[in-house]
Amino acid sequence: MKALQVIHFGDIQDSLAYNEVSKPTVGPHDVLIEIKAAAINPIDKSIILGNLQSMLPIPLPSTIAYDLSGIIVEKGDQVSNFDIGDLVYARVPQEQMGTVAEYAVVLDKAVSKKPGNLSFEEAASIPLAGLTALQSLEHAGIKAKDKVLIHAGSGGVGSFAIQYAKAKGAYVYTTTSTKNVPWVKELGADRVIDYKTEDYKTIVKDADIVFDTLGKNYTLEAFQVVKQGGKVVSVVGPLDVESARMFGMAAYELPEDLAALSQAKEATYKFIFMHPNGSHLSEIKTMIEDEKIKPIIDKVYDFSESIEAFKHLATGRAKGKIVIKIS
Amino acid sequence: MIISNCINQKHYYKALEELIKKVKNIVTLSAEAEAYLYSIAQEISVSKGSILIREGQTVDKIYFVTHGCLRSYCTDKNGKEHTLQFAIKNWWISDYIAIHNDEAATLTVECLKDSTVIEFNAQEINGILYQYPEYEPFQRFILERHVVSLHKRILNQLQLTATERYDLFLVQYPDIEQYTRNYHIASYLGITQESLSRIRVDIAKS
Repeated sequence: MKALQVIHFGDIQDSLAYNEVSKPTVGPHDVLIEIKAAAINPIDKSIILGNLQSMLPIPLPSTIAYDLSGIIVEKGDQVSNFDIGDLVYARVPQEQMGTVAEYAVVLDKAVSKKPGNLSFEEAASIPLAGLTALQSLEHAGIKAKDKVLIHAGSGGVGSFAIQYAKAKGAYVYTTTSTKNVPWVKELGADRVIDYKTEDYKTIVKDADIVFDTLGKNYTLEAFQVVKQGGKVVSVVGPLDVESARMFGMAAYELPEDLAALSQAKEATYKFIFMHPNGSHLSEIKTMIEDEKIKPIIDKVYDFSESIEAFKHLATGRAKGKIVIKIS
Repeated sequence: MIISNCINQKHYYKALEELIKKVKNIVTLSAEAEAYLYSIAQEISVSKGSILIREGQTVDKIYFVTHGCLRSYCTDKNGKEHTLQFAIKNWWISDYIAIHNDEAATLTVECLKDSTVIEFNAQEINGILYQYPEYEPFQRFILERHVVSLHKRILNQLQLTATERYDLFLVQYPDIEQYTRNYHIASYLGITQESLSRIRVDIAKS
């Protein structure tokens, strides 16, 4: 089968290539999915650049990307919750990475039937960003009337998180640039802050939850706007101690400035490491079918234009998700 | 999945008796023909979310709904579902295209709420027409009713506004919104979910 692979680490144009690889074989708990569409995410860019080799080492060559939608064409003998012909979507587990390809083998627990009201392209855009947003906001215990700040409302994770938080009844602040203000408002955010003309730190006060999708100084600033005893969840900031221990970093301590700010506000800080989860995707399926969440797609590329899709991703300018139509 | 077969013998006969009563309203049924109907029918309970017919697979069953609601739909090449039929009490449902043409299913039939159906093997129910020709007018009756329903659906689609189609839909299926998703109804009416939401808002205002 044809697959887009990382052949070495570095510049996108030179590091990706189409290879003919053997069709993967199913294990007892796997399903084989004929991929109809794949979506790409910022993590894929980091992988191609080789920036994640210390944390998530991959062999070369490896097929790229994690998000897919498609049709189950084969299943392992222990798979009982899916049938051949089921239309599904998934964020594949790390060890099964590789969705810009004609087929992928995926652990059944990572898979969900896809929302019936979405096309394959729309469905593929959901899993990684959706799971990241859901797991981050649920870890922070989001509930009705919470004041939530979501950074980068026009991004793949941000645009999903706004809709998810609104579906939970929260009051949502979000930041974005001037040109994105109107459509981000349409996603339901209560207060869209144009970071080019406004300082969010003077607008957001006593947030119950800050969802940090930007990192660096934004992680630290979160403690200025979070309420006493609030929660800061981050998908890009430093690891928290618990997450670091999970990675075997026994001596890891939270950076001093972050630890001091967190302590002063008695606000918790948690790095969210998104994990594939078919049950969470089923929850999302229901919310999508009930129109609480809509997919936001920047552009759909053909399989043959995949490298262009990654170049577009690398600009960081996409509004919503970048999708690759496989078949 | 189908959770039980013939779970309650008394109930089994009651539901089938009711169906046979409907048959007898149309035709005079011999004792042998009635016994044959009993022998080929099977009442089954199906739970919400169960799939009775799956697109791409062989179809040899047709279902008469005695309680609950089933939906048949096709999936387009982009993966979106389009509802063909809702089958509530006293309606028949299957993939007749697949049965008639002896080909794989193009439709999926799913259960939208816990339901009870009487299942027939398509060949066996056709067999009755040859063995017991007196049954034929009933078969023609349900076929004509089905054609009438489809013709009305096509004509409504051609000449009514989306709001008028939705109004008619609610008359035909008064309680259905309790157990269907908006996209089931929107795709049945051939409109977007956004349009359906707008129509509902307009109706609520008026």
